[in-house]
Amino acid sequence: MSLQNLIMSLQRFWADQGCYLAPSYDLEVGAGTMTPDTFFRVLDKRPWKVAYVQPSRRPTDGRYGDNPNRVQKHYQFQVIMKPSPADIQKTYIDSLIALGIRLEDHDLRFDEDDWESPTIGAWGVGWQVMLDGLEITQFTYFQQAGGLEVFPIPAEITYGLERLEMFLEEKDDIYDLKWSEDVSYRDLRLEEERQFSEFNFNQASIQGLRSAFGLAEKEAAQLAGKNLLLPAYDMCLKCSHYFNLLDSRGAISVTERVKMIAQIRALVSQVAAKYAGVEVKL
Amino acid sequence: MEFLLEINVEEMPPSHVRTAVEDLKEKFERELTAAKIPAKGLRTLSTCRRLVVVADLPEGQEAREEVVTGPPKAVAFAADGSPTPAASGFARSRGVDVAQLVVIKTEKGEYVGFKKMATGKSSAEILVQMIPRILGSLSFPKMMRWGTGQFRFSRPIRNILCLLNGTGLAFEIEGLRAGETTTGHKIRSPKLIRPTSFENYSRALEDNLVIIDHEKRKKRILDQFAVLLEPLRAQLYPDPELLDKLANDVECPFAFVGSIPESYLELPLEILSTAMREGQKLFSVVREKKQLPYFLGVADAPGDAKGLIRKGNERVLKARLEDAKFFWEHDRKVSLKKRAPALKHVVFQEKLGTYEDKTQRLKKIAAYLWAKLAEPRGDKDVILAAELCKADLVTDMVREFPSLQGRVGGLYAQAEDLPAGVGRAIYEHYQPQSLEDESPSTLGGAVLSIADKLDSIVGVVGVGIQTTGSSDPFGLRRNAQGICKVILDKKLNFTFLRLLDRTIASYGEKLKLPKTEIVGYCREFFANRLRYLFERQGFRYDLVNAALGAGLENLYHSYLRVKALDALKASSQFEPFILMAKRVNNIISGQPAASLNIDLLAEKEERDLQAMFAIVKENVGPMIAKGDYTQAQMMVFRLQPGLNNFFDRVLVMAEDKKLRKNRLALLQAISRILIQMADYSQVVI
Repeated sequence: MSLQNLIMSLQRFWADQGCYLAPSYDLEVGAGTMTPDTFFRVLDKRPWKVAYVQPSRRPTDGRYGDNPNRVQKHYQFQVIMKPSPADIQKTYIDSLIALGIRLEDHDLRFDEDDWESPTIGAWGVGWQVMLDGLEITQFTYFQQAGGLEVFPIPAEITYGLERLEMFLEEKDDIYDLKWSEDVSYRDLRLEEERQFSEFNFNQASIQGLRSAFGLAEKEAAQLAGKNLLLPAYDMCLKCSHYFNLLDSRGAISVTERVKMIAQIRALVSQVAAKYAGVEVKL
Repeated sequence: MEFLLEINVEEMPPSHVRTAVEDLKEKFERELTAAKIPAKGLRTLSTCRRLVVVADLPEGQEAREEVVTGPPKAVAFAADGSPTPAASGFARSRGVDVAQLVVIKTEKGEYVGFKKMATGKSSAEILVQMIPRILGSLSFPKMMRWGTGQFRFSRPIRNILCLLNGTGLAFEIEGLRAGETTTGHKIRSPKLIRPTSFENYSRALEDNLVIIDHEKRKKRILDQFAVLLEPLRAQLYPDPELLDKLANDVECPFAFVGSIPESYLELPLEILSTAMREGQKLFSVVREKKQLPYFLGVADAPGDAKGLIRKGNERVLKARLEDAKFFWEHDRKVSLKKRAPALKHVVFQEKLGTYEDKTQRLKKIAAYLWAKLAEPRGDKDVILAAELCKADLVTDMVREFPSLQGRVGGLYAQAEDLPAGVGRAIYEHYQPQSLEDESPSTLGGAVLSIADKLDSIVGVVGVGIQTTGSSDPFGLRRNAQGICKVILDKKLNFTFLRLLDRTIASYGEKLKLPKTEIVGYCREFFANRLRYLFERQGFRYDLVNAALGAGLENLYHSYLRVKALDALKASSQFEPFILMAKRVNNIISGQPAASLNIDLLAEKEERDLQAMFAIVKENVGPMIAKGDYTQAQMMVFRLQPGLNNFFDRVLVMAEDKKLRKNRLALLQAISRILIQMADYSQVVI
């Protein structure tokens, strides 16, 4: 087993379910949900099936490479099936079996865990999927995105690739994972974790981030005004990332946090409303 | 006929399942009765994936006689008694012979018509309408849609099994047709089951690894726990809520024991058990309140032959404990005192400032209350505790485990070698979290607990946030209840309204509402909480109202008052005295206050009453001060003969204005003593 085998197995499995295999999005995001392949496509009424690997950046989770479980960047395998098929839970379970997990030896549970993302005005109902006490997947039926009710309802399945691989390889340390037969997670990621932890916590310029946030926010509003919703949304994603970095720099007070999240959400909601209002279609 | 309904749903949260089984039972019982097919032995069962209703139903509504009326008698029969065309036409249209028509007397006069036996609807016909309606009417705290449907439920419904007398009923919910089959355990035995009765349904489920009865699953878990704990000579660290949740979450409970590396056992039990419970739903295993190197878990599986479930859980738990240990060691490098200033960055409530502001207020409120309850000079510990009690909000441990707030601060204080009283007070100051939770064990803890909660209530009320109906976003009701519980449990004797004044004053200019409005709101609010608590303890509602009617100056005394009323309610003097007290109240009601002049008491009876009253008054004072309301009330009962004679022989509303005023003054004086005991007019006789 290796991470790349895991990725290939999941891609094969979900391609067989009719998913389009999207390339990873090329902006910093906190979760696979935030990329246009999910965000915009859940807002319209057309069927949509997509699967992709998305690097997810959460600057405050950085531990300088010292913690065997926490990293400031991890990889998600994101699946959207819209409308949610009646047998979607079973299909998901089949995907685990396809990875070679003998479920008859394990304890697989769907534990109540309703997901929400205040920044993009989205929430859904679902579970964290636990395998022998390890959270391996977030499973959500989207109800709202960009502040709007969605219809039809998409099922979102987000596998935590490192978690799943640690389970498959029976490893306690993320850096011991194999990316391929010859390349380890340590080889690829350890130095990156060290450098970015230092950047996230100590070096990122607070002033620079604040002004970048301001610029992106302004541009998002202008672009949305011109119905250039995709670039406008990109600007929202940039805002969100700058916000996360400011947060990891400890530069945001509680009241400011609420205010900034509300600012981003207002922009995202504006983009969503225009998109759903059939002014623009992908 | 046996009725069996199973709704198969994707995993529902425990709270949803609980309300669903209650609602289903109530709604089916009500609707079946209303439809005249009353159920016998209706019960509901559940797992997180199934909602089940089973009942014994009649075949249908009972047949009943129905009267069909036609034209008036005068129109239906000719003078010679033969039927007119109107009568024969009516008979023909209803398919009866004209000879069968009889005269029917109604309120409007005599008509012709006939009687027939109407067959009722069958239960099957009624159920196919009723079931979709009931399922559509269930409501959950959070509802969802799925696929392309508009139906809202807790989680997606995936299968419906519905049998009446062993055969299927045909209906649909959002395109999902009810059938005659279900499946076993989703992962371990997903076989198709085709039951014909509840008996073979539940047996087939058990054969396929599903126990349909929540209580039976719970019992199985506890039995398995007992077997595992016995050789360890250990106990479970009790957690009924977690047990209930697990009994809901698994269809096939299997308990297992796992081990914890010794190196984590230095962590306090509170932290260990929280790390186990949150996230992984594992139970702590203890001996004499000390954590042993084991935990208990519950899997949804028939067993763990290869030990993989145990090993997996051990591995995940180790990572969590590693985090907790890191926090425990790291947090303590900075003392609570050094942390406290960071509270100026933590917002308590938007309009009420930060936790640093709150800390400053708590110091004042706690010092004041301490001085009322104990030696004022001993207040050093409680003031220090107030200063440090919120500092744990800026530790990593509380960020990771918010439910441990307060307790973490207490543990850190202890580890820092702060005085024991300080650590204890910090540790306990969120207690009690509910009516089932314990009150703080120390006076310092109790004082800080009351100060913290009252500060929150006053602040939130003072900026104009109302608590109405189900909306209580700041948990004010829980806080007020907590304060009442601490006062009653610890028998805390102090003037509550003064503490309230102090608390309002400690906010300075921050509060929006005027003081009188805040006090008024709080009085009402606390009276309602006390009423709830007292009635919950089984006191009669009118006695509760009478006790609360005597005022809220001292909440503990409110309790003593209702207790005294309760103790005396069966005595022979009680009812006559209540009647007398009501009489006194009635006669003085609306009269201006007057002062008593003993020299003006003309009649013997009023002089006697005054003399008795003087004795009673002198004795009652100290009894009330001590809170001995039973003695005090028995003392005022002694006024009864005097009052009787007074009302029998003396005219209160005398012609002479001076005499009248003076007599009223005597009664007013008596009333002023009575109201210190209870508002007797509230007692129902």
